[in-house]
Amino acid sequence: MMGQLVLRNLFHRPMRTLIGVMAVAVEVALVILIVGLTSGILQETAKRIEGIGADIMVQSPAAQMLITFSGSPMPIKIADRLAELKYVQAVAPALLQFNSTGGVETVWGIDAQSFRDVSSGFVFLQGHDLQDPDDILVDDWQAKAKHVKVGDTYNLFNHKWNVAGVIEHGKGARLFVPLATLQDLVGAHDKASIFLVKCTHPDHTEDVIAEIKDLLPNHPVRPLKEFMTLMTSTNIPGLQTFIDAMIALAVSIGLLVIFLTMYTTVLERTRDIGVLKSLGASKVLIVRALLMETTLLCVLGIAAGVGLSYLVRAGFLALFPTLSILITTEWILRAGLIALVGAVLGASYPAWLASRKDPVEALSYD
Amino acid sequence: MAITVTIRSLMDGKPDAERKPLDPILKTENLWKLYHAGKVEVPALRGVNFDVLPGESVAVMGPSGCGKSTLLYVIGGLARASRGKVLVDGNDLTAMGDAERTKLRRSKIGFVFQRFNLLPTLTARGNIAIAQYIHGDGYDPHRFDVVTKMLGLEGRLHHRPSEMSGGEQQRVAIARAIINEPKILLADEPTGNLDTKNSDIVLEMLRRLNKDLGQTIVMITHNPEATTYFDRVVHMRDGIIVDGVPAD
Repeated sequence: MMGQLVLRNLFHRPMRTLIGVMAVAVEVALVILIVGLTSGILQETAKRIEGIGADIMVQSPAAQMLITFSGSPMPIKIADRLAELKYVQAVAPALLQFNSTGGVETVWGIDAQSFRDVSSGFVFLQGHDLQDPDDILVDDWQAKAKHVKVGDTYNLFNHKWNVAGVIEHGKGARLFVPLATLQDLVGAHDKASIFLVKCTHPDHTEDVIAEIKDLLPNHPVRPLKEFMTLMTSTNIPGLQTFIDAMIALAVSIGLLVIFLTMYTTVLERTRDIGVLKSLGASKVLIVRALLMETTLLCVLGIAAGVGLSYLVRAGFLALFPTLSILITTEWILRAGLIALVGAVLGASYPAWLASRKDPVEALSYD
Repeated sequence: MAITVTIRSLMDGKPDAERKPLDPILKTENLWKLYHAGKVEVPALRGVNFDVLPGESVAVMGPSGCGKSTLLYVIGGLARASRGKVLVDGNDLTAMGDAERTKLRRSKIGFVFQRFNLLPTLTARGNIAIAQYIHGDGYDPHRFDVVTKMLGLEGRLHHRPSEMSGGEQQRVAIARAIINEPKILLADEPTGNLDTKNSDIVLEMLRRLNKDLGQTIVMITHNPEATTYFDRVVHMRDGIIVDGVPAD
């Protein structure tokens, strides 16, 4: 019976219900997409790093987990020292440069030969490897996003590059240029951001890491096969705080809209509340009825929010094919729970108000 | 004393045994109700002494503002008395907290209002059934059928209040009020929003409830003609009962 009353009340004012549902849907979608975007980018980056095929990555002392913003390049001569270590098969230096003009991307300057030695080379879908100083390699996702093919000109860092090859995605970066050319362009002569190390056998990785740490005690040295587990929001300074702040913002929006929705509902139904009280409805029953209505509204909103997340993701991926948005069951459930708790909190005060209404005053309310 | 019949006896076909009530089912002693308008105290009831015997029907009349509705709300437990005593079926309302009064109201009192006060989103069936739900007994289809048939509502149960006439709505309200067999039915000007024809129908139904089922009824009315349907008429003025002679 109460279920019937709740359902009918909800659909008695379809527009108000719709607004409440949309608020929860937006809240849920925001949470799912923010987390999905951050973890998607992190995971996709980690996959590409792991996909190089190297065993170890050496960074500069001030480097962060998110290597895109590594900065502080190291002397390239470190590569020679690393190559002399026992169990080291090959070393490839790379200069990483972040570009935010005309898109957001990281360009890797590499030495084609040493990179081939470490990574077993690229899989070419079109064209060939870096040969000339102005050559650029573009991965297939980036080529699709930018509508480029072999022979086209690619503008980057105020420099015109020639697309020499389109490579299969998943190996380090989306854009590769000759190391020397990039060093000249950014004024980082004889510098590298990272060194990729290939061991003679994967079993020697830990031994090589120990030797490198002896050689370069202040430099982060990471085994690449564990990189994906390390690329989490908790390992990126400030990222978890950002995610938490965005979630808190989304929840606040949902809570406030639900509060307003239920507050106006209680005002509108003052006389109905008086009637229920005249029938002997307890305060608990009245609170329960309102919270049931809120819960149902929230459940509808969560379902809509999940649908909205997938829709927005599809839209983003159509516009930005290189973007990665990871939607997981775990975070769908979490977002739903967060929305539900927020909604119940938002409805609590109006429900409490309703339970305390004087029945005589409520019955004469117009 | 005439043999009284309850809804229960209609359900199982057996008449109740003859009853000899000794105590009033409703009794007020020196009842006061004070309202506060800023710093000013406004007495709505001033020492009301009022008894109703089980199975009695009483009409309370008086000019606007004399305290009739206040009396009804206080004896129904919707408002709290400022001073004095209210005994409903032996239970002292004035000694009860809000939760206890709500519980008593749920089990022993039925209300009918001038403005019907049906829940607009529920059908007639839903409006009656919700009273059973709140009472805690759940939906009793047999009792439901007896009440709705008695009030001539069989064909209107699937309609919402907005789809019913005033008379039909008030009959639904009466059905809701009596579905749980309350000890007392309190009616606050139930014919106030009805035309003459529907008023007569509703008053006749109340009379039948009283005579056939022994339902104790206290009704507030402005309509002198309505008093002919009741055993006793009580007049109020300025918060006190000025006279309470039997209707005939």
